Amino acid sequence: MILKDEMLDSLLTELSKEQIVYVPKQVNGTTRFAPYVSSDKMKLDQVNTVMPPKDLLFPQTQNMYHYGVEKNSGNMFIDPVIESADQILFGVRSCDMRSFDCLDAAFLTKGYIDEFYQAKRDRLTTIAIGCTEVSETCFCESMGQDPNHAPQADIQLRHGEGGYNVTAQTEKGEALLEKFKPFCEEGEVEVADVHCTLNVDASNIKDNLDILHESHELWDSMSYKCLNCGTCTFVCPTCYCFDIDQENRCKEGVRFRCWDSCMFSEYTAMAGGHNPRPEKRDRVRNRFMHKLNYFEDRYGKMLCVGCGRCIEKCPVSLDITVLIDRANELAQAEETEAAHA
Amino acid sequence: MPEIEIAHGCANGGEPFIPQVCRIKEIIPETHDVKTFRLTTLDGKRPFDSKPGQFGLLSFISEGECVFVISGFGEDYIQFTVKKVGRVTTRLHQMEVGEQVGVRGPFGNWFPYESCKGMDMLFIAGGIGMPPVRSFAQYCIDHREDYGHIDYVYSASTYADLVCKEDLFENWPKVPDMNVYVSVYHASEESEKKGLTESYTAPFLETLGIEASENRAAVVCGGPSLYRTCSESLKKLGFADDHVVTTLEMRMKCGVGKCGRCNIGSHFICLDGPVFTRAEIAQMYTTA
Repeated sequence: MILKDEMLDSLLTELSKEQIVYVPKQVNGTTRFAPYVSSDKMKLDQVNTVMPPKDLLFPQTQNMYHYGVEKNSGNMFIDPVIESADQILFGVRSCDMRSFDCLDAAFLTKGYIDEFYQAKRDRLTTIAIGCTEVSETCFCESMGQDPNHAPQADIQLRHGEGGYNVTAQTEKGEALLEKFKPFCEEGEVEVADVHCTLNVDASNIKDNLDILHESHELWDSMSYKCLNCGTCTFVCPTCYCFDIDQENRCKEGVRFRCWDSCMFSEYTAMAGGHNPRPEKRDRVRNRFMHKLNYFEDRYGKMLCVGCGRCIEKCPVSLDITVLIDRANELAQAEETEAAHA
Repeated sequence: MPEIEIAHGCANGGEPFIPQVCRIKEIIPETHDVKTFRLTTLDGKRPFDSKPGQFGLLSFISEGECVFVISGFGEDYIQFTVKKVGRVTTRLHQMEVGEQVGVRGPFGNWFPYESCKGMDMLFIAGGIGMPPVRSFAQYCIDHREDYGHIDYVYSASTYADLVCKEDLFENWPKVPDMNVYVSVYHASEESEKKGLTESYTAPFLETLGIEASENRAAVVCGGPSLYRTCSESLKKLGFADDHVVTTLEMRMKCGVGKCGRCNIGSHFICLDGPVFTRAEIAQMYTTA
């Protein structure tokens, strides 16, 4: 089935009558997924938005409950706020699609289900578009993704000359496909596969990082220029750490959670002054280890999808692919040394 | 050799984020900066059942949330013993009986009170490390016939900083087959009157003539330096790493393994812990 380029606006206008359709576009000087308005210019030629789509499921700030004192009884009350709406994420790339697998693992498994996340997750439909170009920081293929195709998406689009090939991949996708039909025609356009130009061997990175001791010089050299600004965690589609805080006015307020960053020293600082990760070296190491080692240990998948945002946005050019390369080399060197000893 | 089995990854699957409203039923001043708060639900029931070593999170209007170990419970209350160190605990210390707070829990795993049955117990606590250890010790005392000889070693900076003095000097010395040893880091008139030794915890522990055996478990809780020094002393006394149990502390926000900050390697202290044996901690650090 083909969706012609000129029909795209009509389709999105139709879809957004019933649901909120998030499309990649420019908002306040940055690209992100935001609700579709027909007069806006979408950024579909963009390789990746600057901001990942994680805030659809895990908003930057999310109210959890209102609290206060009841006027009559004088008792404290707690009113949970669980918000959700039918949402369509349109134009998501394979890497960001894969990031939802990571968020699902963190929020929905291991004993506790995060109902705030689940409420949004259940009502999200995803329409992925295969990449037609790659940027110099894209390395999703090295992390096991296919830039042309996202198997997790409900509907997959691929762009070719004049239009998109449309394929439903899940039940949810089949249902939504009915809405596509009036705007589509039979047939297929020819599409060309793209491939990443940045490649790194991440196949053994977990084991290799296990070989390198915490005190290894690699962590000194990787962290010395880090500013602990937290940009990498902010733009990362899989970073999911959060803080819980409140906004209070007199005797009522709202307790909310908001994105936090493991790059900040306050993140682990305890009352009384002890901090288990006091140096930026400890924090940089923890971040990379969480991405490439700890998360796999716990959930069976890498917490890096190869979108390249952290590489592109880091003000001092800290590069996770450089870390992977160096860790591979150093681990191999240690193993060879151990074999000779 | 009797094995000490600790459950990990304990989740009751219950409501993770929304607290229940509780009322402060009683406040017991322990020291100049430590108070015990007994909390009951608005209809006068115990907020939840918990096992020794589990923790809960407290929040109030304007401040919160913070993690505290449940230091004990009664028919219709659970209690937290809290030292005033930061913003939230300062606010808590200003509260009065009858005021209401939000409570979440119980979270985390618990001390191995089942697999330690029949064993001799050595409890070691320093300063505000008392409440977690007390929760286990009190369980053993309440089920006295299930456990062997009990030693309780406790130290604090000064006499004024000793928590649960009533237990230390009145209740526990009356418990059959239980010895209580107390030391202070800095002697004072009061500590001398009570005949307390002036010593740090680890050297004090080494002088007590407590012998390691396959049938004796040690339970330690205190600050990082106490844990380090006492672990060395226990090793010197011959305690095997899998017979030394401790409870770890990290900054936590959610308590249910989601918010990400309390990890040591791939383990979350809130969900996999906070109770571990020393052998497990050593293993955790080799993979972290």
